[in-house]
Amino acid sequence: MIVLAAVAILLPFAAAFAGMLFGPTVSHLLTPLARRVRSPRPGTAAGRARVLARRLPANGPALIAVLPVAVSTVITAVVAFEQWRQPRVRTGTLTLVQTGGLPFAVSLDVDGLSAVVALMVCCVALAVQIYSVAYMRDDPRYSSYAAFVSLFTAAMLLVVLSGDLLVLYVGWEVMGVCSYFLIGHYWHDRATSRAAVKAFLMTRIGDVGFLFGIFVLGMAAHSFGIRAVIAHVPAMSHTTLVAGTLLLLCGVAGKSAQFPLHTWLPDAMAGPTPVSALIHAATMVAAGVYVVARLYPAFLFAPASLAVLGIIAAISMLGAALAALAQDDLKRVLAYSTISQLAYMAGGLAVGTRDGAVFHLLSHGAFKALLFLGAGCVIVTVGSSVLSTMGGLRRAMPVTFWSMTIGFAALAGVPPASGFFSKDTILSQAWHAARQQRPRGDFGSFAHSSVGGGTGTQGYTALNNAHRLPVIPESMPGIPSWTGWLVFIAGLVTVAITAAYATRTWLVTFFGEQRSEVAPREAPPLMRWPVAVLAVPALVLGFLGLGSDHLRPEPGMAAVSLLFTAAGAGAVFLVWNNDPALDPVRLLGPVRPVLQAGFHLDNVYDVLVVRPVLALARLVVSTDERVVDAAVEGSGRGARRLGGLLRATENGNPQAYVSGLLAGVVIIVLAVVVLT
Amino acid sequence: MHLVYPVVIAAMLFSVGVYGVLARRNAILVLMSVELMLNAVNLNLVVFDMRWADRLHGGQVLTLFVIVLAAAEVGLGLALVLLIYRNRRTVDIDRLRALADRDVDPDSDISAIPDDEGVRR
Amino acid sequence: MILMALLAVPLLGALLTLVSPPWSPRRLTRVARLYGLVVSGVTLVLALVAAVVFDYGKRGPQLGVDRTWAASIGLRFHLGVDGISLPLIVLTAALTFLCMVYTARVLPSRGTGGDEGDSPPQALIGLILLLEVGMLGTFVALDLVLFFVFFEVVLVPMYFIIANWGGSGRDGQAKARAAANKFILYTLLGSGFLLVGILLIAVNARTLDMTALAARHGAGLSHGVQVTAFALMALGFAVKTPMWPLHTWLPDAHTEAPTVGSVLLAGVLLKMGTYGFVRVAVPAAPGGAHTWAPWLGLLAVIGILYGALACLAQRDLKRMIAYSSIGHMGFVLLGIATLTPVGVNAALFGNVAHGLITGLLFFLAGAIKERYGTGDLDVLGGGMLAKAPYLASILTFASIASLGLPGLAGFWGEMLALLGAYRPHAGLPRGTFLTFMALGGLGAVLTAAYFLRMLAKVTHGPVAERWRTTRFADVRSYELLAWTPLITATLFIGLWPKTLLALTDGAVRVLLGGR
Repeated sequence: MIVLAAVAILLPFAAAFAGMLFGPTVSHLLTPLARRVRSPRPGTAAGRARVLARRLPANGPALIAVLPVAVSTVITAVVAFEQWRQPRVRTGTLTLVQTGGLPFAVSLDVDGLSAVVALMVCCVALAVQIYSVAYMRDDPRYSSYAAFVSLFTAAMLLVVLSGDLLVLYVGWEVMGVCSYFLIGHYWHDRATSRAAVKAFLMTRIGDVGFLFGIFVLGMAAHSFGIRAVIAHVPAMSHTTLVAGTLLLLCGVAGKSAQFPLHTWLPDAMAGPTPVSALIHAATMVAAGVYVVARLYPAFLFAPASLAVLGIIAAISMLGAALAALAQDDLKRVLAYSTISQLAYMAGGLAVGTRDGAVFHLLSHGAFKALLFLGAGCVIVTVGSSVLSTMGGLRRAMPVTFWSMTIGFAALAGVPPASGFFSKDTILSQAWHAARQQRPRGDFGSFAHSSVGGGTGTQGYTALNNAHRLPVIPESMPGIPSWTGWLVFIAGLVTVAITAAYATRTWLVTFFGEQRSEVAPREAPPLMRWPVAVLAVPALVLGFLGLGSDHLRPEPGMAAVSLLFTAAGAGAVFLVWNNDPALDPVRLLGPVRPVLQAGFHLDNVYDVLVVRPVLALARLVVSTDERVVDAAVEGSGRGARRLGGLLRATENGNPQAYVSGLLAGVVIIVLAVVVLT
Repeated sequence: MHLVYPVVIAAMLFSVGVYGVLARRNAILVLMSVELMLNAVNLNLVVFDMRWADRLHGGQVLTLFVIVLAAAEVGLGLALVLLIYRNRRTVDIDRLRALADRDVDPDSDISAIPDDEGVRR
Repeated sequence: MILMALLAVPLLGALLTLVSPPWSPRRLTRVARLYGLVVSGVTLVLALVAAVVFDYGKRGPQLGVDRTWAASIGLRFHLGVDGISLPLIVLTAALTFLCMVYTARVLPSRGTGGDEGDSPPQALIGLILLLEVGMLGTFVALDLVLFFVFFEVVLVPMYFIIANWGGSGRDGQAKARAAANKFILYTLLGSGFLLVGILLIAVNARTLDMTALAARHGAGLSHGVQVTAFALMALGFAVKTPMWPLHTWLPDAHTEAPTVGSVLLAGVLLKMGTYGFVRVAVPAAPGGAHTWAPWLGLLAVIGILYGALACLAQRDLKRMIAYSSIGHMGFVLLGIATLTPVGVNAALFGNVAHGLITGLLFFLAGAIKERYGTGDLDVLGGGMLAKAPYLASILTFASIASLGLPGLAGFWGEMLALLGAYRPHAGLPRGTFLTFMALGGLGAVLTAAYFLRMLAKVTHGPVAERWRTTRFADVRSYELLAWTPLITATLFIGLWPKTLLALTDGAVRVLLGGR
């Protein structure tokens, strides 16, 4: 099992190197083979060869990209199935690396949580790779793009399946660098280059805190292994736990694009759309939430950090949703929406439902990837991503339209799409935390060590059961009630705003009259079928949660959230219905530019951070020249001046020399006479 | 006669010689002052030889040495003064500063010796 | 025996270059280049043989030579390798060989032998070989004065390499000579202090043998002596490292040196300073090390931040890489300052990683300068990914490795140094070191910032107007040959840090006297 997991990670990793080094070579090798298979077509020989070279069987980079990920998907499915059948923790260590202090182990750890998230990652990665073959068809640098996507997949799988915190950190950072390369794929545009740098630097700031958090927790647990850290959690001092978890939250905020390290995500939309789907919707940004879920006992024992997480979640939820409402670019709407949905997951973790947060992570992975890939289809068809150039596309692009409708429904939380179920779980738990009630069945998976299953052997519970987790003592302060209230209220308001912007985007893109100059037609099959396939889990995933207690929707909460959804969607629909040609968001009036610019946080960071650092850098360079080096050069000049003083006696006049000689002799004689 | 008289005369001669060496500007006068110093030393040597009167008469022997060396040295010295006069047109010691340590421009021709004033090259 | 051969081969090779057969200049150049390749190749083979016959289970120095040299002062010709010196020896031999590969086509032609004109081509080869003797000797010497001799031997060839083959542009020669002067005088000043420190220890401990001094862990030396001796030795090593504020010789020396000079300067010479700390200063005067460690840490962290900020505002590519060396060496020094096995392991790892990565960076900077004619970032303009994609990709790889991305060699040194600072030696002030750790982390972010800024300026964006019509070759075959070993080594050590850590850990524990 562990070996299978290791193979699942190594395959995309090898594919990345192979793609980088041998991509075009494989194409050359396969072209004659493909030519023999296909029947001759009219046209020049060169054109024929080119067309053939682009088709899947002879497309070297595409094969190198898709096949290993497909195999990995199968492997992770097998692993997940095996884990569901026999839920237990499987760990495997390759080697122990001595560092002189605390050693760390290159190890993998398969349990329910990691297996199911790994499966999600592989599925989305496969869909994106297949999609990219068509999307990036005309791109000359497709092979390096595909190689980086493979490398990213390997890194994300490493983060998910790692059994050691430092190995997790390696995967974490490699994801960050792949994100930099992929956002910067269109590097000839300076704005894109800047966006890539911004993404990397903001996440790096978070990652430094993350590394320090790993130090704190690892050193306190005398091991960097995740299982060992969790087992040691009851023995750690409260200060250590709070410090460690708060530092980990830095990395989470950076990677999962939460306030205050979120401004990189909207700009990251400058990258190709499949990249946005994979990295900035389903996987990398979910890594932060995943890590908190993995180390959840540490957070439970330090409720202060969960409270901080709640505050961050509430701010991000509301702020991003409001900003999404005012955007004019389809991808930016989805980007802000991602921030908002991730805040939901963070909020779920903050109020105590790990399973709910992971549930939302999985369903969000499905529907957000779906939305992004569908957006890619729309963008390819229309030729631009600006909302005002779209409209009336539902007749021309039926498959895309229906898939994206399901996606938007899931986003807005409309039953029966999965988003409704997962959001509801989080809101219910928030309500219970606010009222300080013991939640139904949650904490339960932590309160008793489970080998054969928690409250049920079906659905998520079995998959998410952790083995031999510490018991939370009664004396432990629980999650404060105000956190629950904060998350609950913010969550409800966000439900309404989410429904509003989802409806607005859906209407403006697909309804009304066509505003694009290009005649729209359906996207190529390699693009639209992954979108359609992703619509299935987006619709159905919610029902898999009905099996367990705490993932089933509560009727009261469901009704309230449906009310808010209807309010938001209905308001927008009514405004739009008045005049389908105009954008309903115009009603925001003067507030719209502020929201569109993300509350001008970018400018604030520029003034508070970027400019002072650059000024400091210039100061350092001038100090180096004028102060430090001046001291060095000054010592040389000082030595020469001293020499110059003595040189004054060398005036070339022999009589002066002899006078000096005489004076010296007199002094010596006097000294001898006086001193003896 | 007491030793004091010739010794005092020798001392006075030596002092005049030292003054001449240190203060005279003309090179020839400096050489003459050196002669004066040497002869004062000679006088001292002879006087003390008469006082000690040892078997080898070391004082008088040394005096002969000094006379010969003084002659040789003055010959050489005058030859130098003559050459300096031919090249520099002056024997004023104060103006002969070629060996002074001065800032030399590193990019200039190394073979150029810094000039004194009014020198013919 | 093998260590003697390791030192003798380059020495004899260098002496042989004094011969000047009456051939045509072109033939002479060709033969000289080939000769350099052969001699440095033999040295590399010897170093690899040493790595193979090395007994990885044994902890003390091995493969040694120990002969009396000057019995009256207790000076012995004592050589030996252990886990700390072995990687550095292999690194030195490899980098020298790669430099010779690089010279095989790009022998810098400008030499200023005086009024007669260019220096003969074999002079550069001979100087590099002499440099190699000094570098290898420093790492294998186990006697204090012998160590000092080899430490100084590297200065003279490096001076001539920079002064005669360096510099470019308008006042190239004058600037190169000025940089070389600064380098040699500054380092000599430091070495003066180092010598006084060494002699202080030698006189008080009555032995010159490094292994004996390390085994004693400061017994027999009073605390005052240890503190003074460590301070003096630290001053000497600090100039070489370089440690802020004794670093200002580095940017000029690197900028004006020719490519092979920069590679060897950054790749190996800088390691001699930190190696000296680990091998000489800390084991011989541990009491002094404890007293000075917080100051060392403070200056190291200032170096990290200072180097990073200075890089952010640099305009010249080589100068920027030079300042980045100051930052990286800051991490190495921080590791040493923690006086824990983790920290010293981090320092040694960082040494090797920096040698590989910055060596590669200077090769690349030289290649860029040769093609574009300038190293000015604004003049380069951008778009190198369009004009010379392989060169730009390798530059990106080297920059990413240098900024400490996990999975590549640079990360482990930095991370372990920070881990060491999190829990320094028992006697050191923990709060101070925690602050150092936090500032070091900040430095890591700034490092990422300046490298990405440089990449954006040079490789991204459209090709600048002035370069649109020029054509030059992308990576050439001999360049690829010279760079591939560095790239693979960076990847391998980054993905499997156990290779280096397992090697150094045992030796470090012996040196620090613990568990």
